[in-house]
Amino acid sequence: MKRIEDIESLSPEALEAAALEQDVPVPEGLDARIREALAGETALDRPRVTVKRRVLYASLAAAAAVAAVVVVNRSALAGPRDTFDDPYLAYAQVEETFRQLSDKMAFGIDLADQARDAAEKPIQIIKKINER
Amino acid sequence: MKRIAILLAALLLTATSASAQTGRGIYQRYSGSPGVSAVYISPAMFRLIGRIPDIQVNGGNLDFAPVIRTLSGLYLLTSKNIPVSTKIISEVDRLVSNDDYELLMEAKDNGEAVRMFTTGTESIVHGLIMLAVDGPETTFICLDGKMDRAALEKLLLENMNKK
Repeated sequence: MKRIEDIESLSPEALEAAALEQDVPVPEGLDARIREALAGETALDRPRVTVKRRVLYASLAAAAAVAAVVVVNRSALAGPRDTFDDPYLAYAQVEETFRQLSDKMAFGIDLADQARDAAEKPIQIIKKINER
Repeated sequence: MKRIAILLAALLLTATSASAQTGRGIYQRYSGSPGVSAVYISPAMFRLIGRIPDIQVNGGNLDFAPVIRTLSGLYLLTSKNIPVSTKIISEVDRLVSNDDYELLMEAKDNGEAVRMFTTGTESIVHGLIMLAVDGPETTFICLDGKMDRAALEKLLLENMNKK
């Protein structure tokens, strides 16, 4: 009987030769089991590929989103261009804008005055009636 | 993939709506539209205006200088393009529906409507928005800055009395 040390000391060629000398029967259905095992591994590998793809798509989408946000914000930050190069012209425009604002305020105040006048008329009529 | 697409759309929507929900955003969106005249004065230009030595002389009896020096942006749109005007009005409505804006004045008469809003504190105005619709013409004015409320109101009222 050979010891483990003796077997371990054999060269690969000697081991192969020893294996060929032995007549070991192949278990029944081994071939089918190997095929099934290989098919199972292939099936397990498929989701891994899908997950990898999803990660890739997600990364691409995230990169596109970041790029889009940066582009939008940059265009917002870039801001509009000054209408005037000359501060005197710009000042004239500011004056004109304040005049517009005042005009519109005056419009509101005039309406309020008209409403007050309209409200005061009945009061005056009532006062006159009471004086009689 | 669906989730990613939704996330992407949401991000873009947030980014675009963030820029649209300001006076500047509204100006940028419609300043190039046909039938719309636009004026923008930048903070840098306001600094230059503030250095004009005879600024009070040009303003007659009115002292514009203290208010002008605190302005950081002026956006003005005048639209005679009805579809664009409708969009401007709708965007201004959305902007001022923000709790920060307070209605300063509203007047309507014979097809003319004016609304003014301010945002800021009791003493400082950070933004003033005016939306005026007069027949086919819609005017949007937005002033940004750190204006002294009392000085701004005094200026507007004095300018009104000057007429």
